[in-house]
Order: sequence, then C-alpha cells, then structure tokens
Amino acid sequence: MFFRWIYQKRFWSLLGLTLGLVLVRFSKGAVLVDSFAVISRPFWPGTAQREWIVNGIDTEQKIRLDLLEKDNQRLRRLLDLKVTSADDVTSAAVISRRSRDFWQQLVLNKGSTNGISSGDVVLGPGGLLGFIETVTPTTSKVRLLTAPGTNLAVWIEQKKVHGVLTGIGTHRPQLNFLEKTPQAKAGDVISTSPASTVLPPNLPVGVIQYVNLKNLPSPYALVQLTASPEAIDWVQIRKGL
Amino acid sequence: MRKNQKKSFYQVLALLVPFLTLINPPYLSLLGVGPRWAELWLLPWALYQGPIAGMFAGFCLGMMGDAINLGINTQLPALMLLGYFWGCLGQKKEYIDKPFSLGLFALFGSFLSGLLVWFQEIVFGNINDFVLFNKWAFQTILAGSVMTGFLAPFLCQLCIRTFFQRNSRN
Repeated sequence: MFFRWIYQKRFWSLLGLTLGLVLVRFSKGAVLVDSFAVISRPFWPGTAQREWIVNGIDTEQKIRLDLLEKDNQRLRRLLDLKVTSADDVTSAAVISRRSRDFWQQLVLNKGSTNGISSGDVVLGPGGLLGFIETVTPTTSKVRLLTAPGTNLAVWIEQKKVHGVLTGIGTHRPQLNFLEKTPQAKAGDVISTSPASTVLPPNLPVGVIQYVNLKNLPSPYALVQLTASPEAIDWVQIRKGL
Repeated sequence: MRKNQKKSFYQVLALLVPFLTLINPPYLSLLGVGPRWAELWLLPWALYQGPIAGMFAGFCLGMMGDAINLGINTQLPALMLLGYFWGCLGQKKEYIDKPFSLGLFALFGSFLSGLLVWFQEIVFGNINDFVLFNKWAFQTILAGSVMTGFLAPFLCQLCIRTFFQRNSRN
C-alpha cells in the first residue's frame, strides 16, 4: 500500500536517472563532458588557431625583447657604457663566399653608398659572423671569425669569464682565457664582451665545444660558432661603436 | 684569327681570374677550397711567352688577387716566381704540350704558392705559430693544388690549343 510506488516501473526509471545525475555530478561531469568532446570534435581548434597562438607568443616575446633592449640601453646610458641601437641595421646579400681557404671572407652587396664602413659588425641567423674590413662604393668584404688572425673580445655571460677569441683557420676558432683557472666547461655560451669599445655588447657568438685546461699558463677552448657562413645568404650589418 | 689577336684575347681572359676566384664554384672545390685560377691562367701564358712576360703577368695577377683577398698575405711573389719558372720551362719544347706535364707543373706550382702564403701567415700573422702548424694549413694547400692539378690538363691544354698553337688549316 504505502510502498506501492516501489512496484511502479516509472519510479525505478526516475531513480536510475537521479543516481546517474548524482554520479555525473560527483565525477565532475565525466560522461557529459566526454560526450561533448565527441560531439564537438569537428569544431575543435585546428592548426590555424595553433598558428595564431604561436604568432601571438612570438609577438609577445618580440615586444618583451624590445622592451628589455630599451631598458638595457637606458641602464647602459645611466652607467655611461657604450650604446648601440638596433635601428641602424642594414640587410645585405652574400654575393661571394669563400669560407674555407687561406682567405676566409664574404663579399656583400652593400657598400659605402649604403652607409657601410669598415669595422661594422656582420650578423647572420644565429649570431656574429665577422666584421667589415674593406668597403668599396657598392660592395663590402667581411672578415670571418674563423679567418686566421681575427681577434675578438668575448665572455661567458653566466660565469663572467673573459677571453679572446682567435681565428685559427679551422671551423672552430680558439678562445684564449685571460685567467689561469677559468671556470669554463663545454656547453657554455659565449657572447661579445660588454667591456668592448669596438663591438656592440652581448651579441651571441658560439658554444664552447672543448676546453683544454692543461695548456698552462694559457688554457684555451675551442668554440663552435652558432652562425655558419656556408649556409647564409642574407646577413645584417650593424654599425660598430 | 691572327696570332696577335689571339694573344690579346687571352689577355682579356685574365679578367676572368678574379671573378672565378670570387665565384668559387662549390662543385669545383675540395674541402671548400677551389682551384687556383691565377695559376691556371698563368701556366699557358708563361710557357709560350717566356720568363719575362710570365713574370710580368704574375705581377698583374698577383695585384688583382691581392685586391680581392683580405689579409696581410700576398700571392704576388709566388706568382712572379712561377711565371719566371714556367717561362724557363717553356723553352724546352718537348714538355709543354703534354697534358700530364701540364698537370704536374700546375700541381707543383700551386703547392709552392700555397706554401709561400702559409709561410707569410706564419711570419707576419699576429697569431702564435703553434696554432698555425695544424693540419688545416696542409689541407688547404693540398686541396688547392690538387684541384689546380686536376683542372690544368683540361683547361690549360684547351687554352694552348686555342690561343697559342697554330691551326693546321692556316
């Protein structure tokens, strides 16, 4: 009598529905959201949206880099250090490439009429390539970092170890340390020295491949450059200091 | 073509030397080092024009080479020496139109000029000698002279046949 509704089919179906909803509720929507996922699958964000996001991240990082560079310049000005701006950058194409001979040089298609002068810094994708050594009205010659006798003041940023990078003709220039026991090891990233009066500071140069600490009194390391002149067709020329 | 016309045409061809050096075609280079085009031009000229003309041509080629090369070293003395030496060799007629001897002259000549450049780098360069006595310098000298010696039998003989030897027809 009182429990007559127990025998009704409708009661059981309603109870089942309620229990099901409770389960869904306490599983934080397991079935619901999964089914939503299955149904909405055709409308999921595709590669295009991914690209938008990656572009957005790139833009954000560029803006941050820009802000940081400006900040850095302001601070350097406060400290009376040498300042370069990223504005005076000229792009140039490589019209002759001899990177493995006695004369390791590139010829670029911009010259003194484009405002290039000797001593300017040449950057490729990856980092520093070399310096402008001679200029004609429409061309300029770049002395590569690997060329024998090229000297460059560099440092390891994280460890504040200073050294002189000397080209010895081979693919890997030699880094001569200024200290007897430098704390350098393979894998350290080297960049141009902030104390340099010739070059813009903190341009990436390369990665240390091998350290010979036994060569006393002047331990040295071999450096793999991050920009490879064999593969670069376009470079950027930046005004020297 | 008359003999003098041919000669002046070959002189004009010398302008190709700096351009070919700058182009440095990668398919003609060994370890990234191309043939020594100046030596390839100089060899037929010196063999047929004698030591003095060869020396002067070596001077001109050396000036052009130094104009396009960076660095303190110069090819000029090596090219003048080679021009003189090859000019003297050219007076012995039995050597000079055989492809094998052309290749051999070019090989040893460019090896000698490479040695002279390396020597200048050691003496006048501002880097320590220990570093320069590495295998890179040997590799560069050898690669350059092997490529020159490889091309000389073809190119120099072609030049000699075209510009210096009398045609059978006239």
